Amino acid sequence: MAENAADDPVVETVQLTKIYQNRHIALNDVTLKLERGCVLGLLGANGAGKTTLLRLIIGLHRPTAGVAKVFGEEMSPNSAELRRRIGYIPTNPRFPKGMTPISYLDYMAKLFGLPRDVRKPRMGMLLRAVDLLGAGGTQIDTFSNGMTARLAVATSLINDPDLLIWDEPTHGLDPEARRSMLDLIKGLSREKTLIVSSHNLNDIDEVCNHAAVLSHGQLIYSGPLHDLKSRMRRNHFEVDVDGDQKAVTRALATIKALGDVQHVSLEHRRLNLRLQEDAVATATLGQVFQVLSEAKLTLIGIRSVGQQTEEAFLDLVEKEEQRGFTRIYRQAA
Amino acid sequence: MASPASTVKLHNRSVAPEPEPTPVAYQAWLPYWAVLEADFLQVFSSWVYRSWILVAATMAIGLFIYRWGLYNEAKIIQPASHVITHLLRGILMGSVALVGVIAAGAIAGERGSLADSILSRGISRYQYYLGKWHGRLLAILLGHVLLGALTVGGTRIILHEDVTLEGGMVAIFISGAALAVVVSLGVMMSAMFARPLAAAAGLWVLLYAAGLIFGAMPHSIPTPEWILQKLPFILKGEYTREMVVQVVLYAGGASIGSAIFGMALFARKDL
Ligand SMILES: Nc1ncnc2c1ncn2[C@@H]1O[C@H](COP(=O)(O)OP(=O)(O)O)[C@@H](O)[C@H]1O
Ligand SMILES: [Mg+2]
Repeated sequence: MAENAADDPVVETVQLTKIYQNRHIALNDVTLKLERGCVLGLLGANGAGKTTLLRLIIGLHRPTAGVAKVFGEEMSPNSAELRRRIGYIPTNPRFPKGMTPISYLDYMAKLFGLPRDVRKPRMGMLLRAVDLLGAGGTQIDTFSNGMTARLAVATSLINDPDLLIWDEPTHGLDPEARRSMLDLIKGLSREKTLIVSSHNLNDIDEVCNHAAVLSHGQLIYSGPLHDLKSRMRRNHFEVDVDGDQKAVTRALATIKALGDVQHVSLEHRRLNLRLQEDAVATATLGQVFQVLSEAKLTLIGIRSVGQQTEEAFLDLVEKEEQRGFTRIYRQAA
Repeated sequence: MASPASTVKLHNRSVAPEPEPTPVAYQAWLPYWAVLEADFLQVFSSWVYRSWILVAATMAIGLFIYRWGLYNEAKIIQPASHVITHLLRGILMGSVALVGVIAAGAIAGERGSLADSILSRGISRYQYYLGKWHGRLLAILLGHVLLGALTVGGTRIILHEDVTLEGGMVAIFISGAALAVVVSLGVMMSAMFARPLAAAAGLWVLLYAAGLIFGAMPHSIPTPEWILQKLPFILKGEYTREMVVQVVLYAGGASIGSAIFGMALFARKDL
């Protein structure tokens, strides 16, 4: 096994393109670099091309054009040595019929060429770590979603990989299982390089330090996560007020007339406030509070309304398309 | 000893870090053996395989009983080599159909998330193909030898007829070589098609086309039909060493050739 220079990026794709059956462009010209120790959140709506990208990186697919390099070497379906250093979890992992966690893990460890005196102790340790020691001899067919997810985690760690590629690991999990999955990712991120895909920004937000966003096979953003978040400005607020009903109605009319306010509505004592796309939130909110204060209304509370993540994405995607993603893309690269 | 992660935390359990003194000595061919073993066991416990053995064995036993009755009641003696030839012929023809289905399921049957979970590990496409190919070959040839031994042995022991032990073994061997070609072609088809049924259909079309081509050929090469015609003589011990060698060479060449072709194709295929 060739140990590469430490400064080689762990994953590097150059103009990676995948066209299915000469008809469907699933991934288009994706150039991406992932340094050692990064935790990359791969974001994108369903069908954006996340799985396609990950399968190209692990060598399950062959690129139509471009290359995917892992640890400085080109990945191909026959790159067994490269895959020895990668731990992969597909979306909704499935298991062969009639196997138990012990027999399955042993099989997977053999597929890495791990000798018996390495794989046996590791199996026990991992089963304990994912809390499946008691179920080690039970048929996998009878497992819950959470249990199969934990088994998939153990499987992806059996070869002590340097790079983990997890495709939607929180998909289909109940809140408790999702919680422990995220904690696990946080723990592992201290010593491994990770790529975690999700269509849920909240998950990525919690565990990743880098982000890449795919939309219709295009990479529209790649870079630090906080830069991405600053692009998704919040412009939707709820303001709870107390005071004379007439004064509230009057204030509402005045706020409606403010230039940067796109939409405002009243629901009991709650103002629903949506600012223009390019409004400076602090300035506009300053004006709104001015109006409220002049109307002698009491402020009870203000909240920025969290967009549904799915919605936030589409928003971001739309915005970037309008601005021309090439500019963003060059910046990020 | 290496540990997968020095601190894996899940469900409030933690695993203490362990030092990692020596690099792991990977066993290069272990993935191949693992696939072979798993495939062999999978075929062995599949219903197609079991019904193949069951149907063929039932056919053989039924014919024994019939012939035994015939012998005891009417004292009619048929040369056994004839019966066995008919039997072997029937078993072989029936076998080719079922064995084709078994072989065609080798790789196509695992397509989807199951093959993903195997081929995303430290195994090359070549090793996977080899493991699958040899797993199927082993299971099917083992079944064939069992069935053949049952037929030949039964005839000699129960019916005391004109089959020589050596001739019986050679017959099993030669028909096994023909069956191995079917298995190899089936696995090749299995790597080319995404669905087992499509692979089986492809295999039958291929075998049918091969039959047509062989039919138009001079009898200088050992075609399947030629082998079938020779079986009664082989069973009586009338065969030459060259003949056996020739069959083995042709069958081996066809098997290995199809495997190389299948592997080259599978190595460039999307999963
Ligand atoms: N094997 C395939 N053949 C044809 N089209 C595919 C195949 N796999 C995925 N696609 C298509 O490529 C696009 C991207 O899919 P995918 O990478 O699975 O997206 P994601 O993982 O982001 O949901 C989708 O439109 C999907 O329908
Ligand atoms: Mg996906």
